[in-house]
Amino acid sequence: MTAARRIATEVRSYHGFIKFLIALVAIGALASLLRFIFGLGATTNLNDTYPWGLWISFDVVTAVPLAAGAFTLGAIVHCFHIKKLEPLVRPAIVTGFLGYSLVSIGLLLDLGQPQRGWHVFRYWNVHSPMFEVSMCVMAYTTVLFLEFLSPVAERFGWHLPLRVLRWLEMPLVVAAAAISTLHQSTLGTFFLIAVDKLHNLWYNPLLPLLFWVSAICSGMSIIILEASACHKWMGQPNEGVLLRTLAKILPWTLGLYIALRVFSLVALSEGPFFDRPGLTISFALEMGIGFILPFFMFVQKSVRDDDRRRSIAAGLVIFGLVLNRFNVSMFGMMDPDKIYYPSLIESLVTIGIIAGHILFFVLIARYFPIFEHHPETVDYTLPDPLRKIGGASPSLSSAD
Amino acid sequence: MSTLDTTKNHAFLIDMTKCTGCRGCQVACKQWNQLEAEKTVFFSGEGYQNPPAMSEYTYTRIKFRDYQKNGQNEFAFYKEMCMHCNDPACASVCPVGAFKKTAEGPVVYDDKRCIGCRFCMIACPFGVPKYEWSKGLPLVKKCTGCHDRVRGGMKPACATACPTAITYGPRAAMIQEAERRLARYPDRYIHKVYGKEEAGGTSVIYLTSLPFEELGFKKVTMRALPSFTWQALRLVPGIFLTVGGGLSALSWINHRRDRIKALREAEETGTESAEPKEEQQ
Repeated sequence: MTAARRIATEVRSYHGFIKFLIALVAIGALASLLRFIFGLGATTNLNDTYPWGLWISFDVVTAVPLAAGAFTLGAIVHCFHIKKLEPLVRPAIVTGFLGYSLVSIGLLLDLGQPQRGWHVFRYWNVHSPMFEVSMCVMAYTTVLFLEFLSPVAERFGWHLPLRVLRWLEMPLVVAAAAISTLHQSTLGTFFLIAVDKLHNLWYNPLLPLLFWVSAICSGMSIIILEASACHKWMGQPNEGVLLRTLAKILPWTLGLYIALRVFSLVALSEGPFFDRPGLTISFALEMGIGFILPFFMFVQKSVRDDDRRRSIAAGLVIFGLVLNRFNVSMFGMMDPDKIYYPSLIESLVTIGIIAGHILFFVLIARYFPIFEHHPETVDYTLPDPLRKIGGASPSLSSAD
Repeated sequence: MSTLDTTKNHAFLIDMTKCTGCRGCQVACKQWNQLEAEKTVFFSGEGYQNPPAMSEYTYTRIKFRDYQKNGQNEFAFYKEMCMHCNDPACASVCPVGAFKKTAEGPVVYDDKRCIGCRFCMIACPFGVPKYEWSKGLPLVKKCTGCHDRVRGGMKPACATACPTAITYGPRAAMIQEAERRLARYPDRYIHKVYGKEEAGGTSVIYLTSLPFEELGFKKVTMRALPSFTWQALRLVPGIFLTVGGGLSALSWINHRRDRIKALREAEETGTESAEPKEEQQ
């Protein structure tokens, strides 16, 4: 049986939903091809009034905080030393790695000159938030890739890389948290330059800090949702006990976010706030349903302990975060006379990217040890066919 | 960026009360920059003006505005173009530094560097940079302030073509002249030199008789825009070191506590094993 036929048989055995996802990704890839053939103007609804649309608002500004689970959990488990959450780390890292890879793809589609992406390395402008974010996203995608290499190395039994990665584990976790703090907040800095463009409800000098805190909230919420979904649909064990611990941290970060948000609105923003009914509703939905309601839900022990209600609360945080990023980067920047809405091709590409994320997650979970991770059972010793290392191996392991 | 001596750079003084609406500047700009013509429609957009907006093919244009004065229909004009800010937002947000404020005054764009992120279009408070939406690999287009002419000692094309309204010269002198006119003919003008303070000062200065908002001038802050993002960005190295250092210290302390605990347990039970070593990791 040739390799191609083996792959075909394998794909045929997939669940119908996975095949559906593959179709969506294929359509998205086709749509993105059209963007390069016919140009941005013909395939998107972007114009000189709205140079940034769905691809920046969702694929970049929203997807980056949605992928924040990896650095948040890495810091919680390894730095704050809540070791029992360890089993959640790998799925979070895979999600993060996929998220950032897809952010990069979204960004390349949106750039006018994607073949010059490397110019960022050659021509530095440290005054540019975009420079900061692109450097960080590239650095962080590399870090996530290295972290993701661990299950790959385990799968194929590469002992030397495993040892190196094990040795690098802590530096990578710290680097991940530091780099993420920078670019998550700098995404907020983007909109500080839109002084008279972004609506007063969202424009305030604390935007970077708010972006960072809400990214942490969404990182934890995504992990809760993801673990619950994996339990429900992928036959994974119920991690409810661990998720309860996360749900205990969430009201603190959510509370901090709400406090900062109220403070920035009352003390740092300038009115008028409620001059545009559409934006007022959007703001009320974002704050009320997306942050304040889940805060009060997570405060209650009964909600934290209940798998279903905990997932709902986490879902609300995600809703709030997505709406917040759209409010800042799209709705709040809107000119009341000229409305932007994404074109069919823009939407298909974004749907393809979301579908791609779920698809690759499921496939990676299928072929690599993502869920059954037990660090103590992994064999980190070096293979020694020539018996040259011999008894020296214990002293080597102390160098870890 | 802001280290440039902006007092010596040149500026446009555009006196809109003297503008006759001949649009010679529009034509001169098209010719000098070799820009394609645009198909126009009568009464497209807000009024008589054509083309309907600045675009990749139109770096400057005269906007028409009709109003009533003493029961008579009157016209007012506004020349739309790049303001060539002293501390330009486009230059500060461009990740590859494709925009540069030149010592002569114009803000120029290097299309060899541009990666096409369009952040300049988001950042510009005047909505100046335009994009080649028709192309597969598009670039930004905007008024060059005729930097090529200015460097050679000439005036910009629009200032050369204008029979009445545009004066071009050192910025300080232009502001002085504007203030002289305001003092001399207080009834003719709205008492304001637009561009003196707007967005931290610009190299295009306007005088007008109609309220600026009525003419379609955008509301802009008086503070130089790059300072808004810089107040957050300047903290980046500090935050990186604080977060990185803090978390490193935290995890070192936590791991050390673990290691000590494991050693103590090993001593108590008297087991001589590799277990503490396992915990080190």
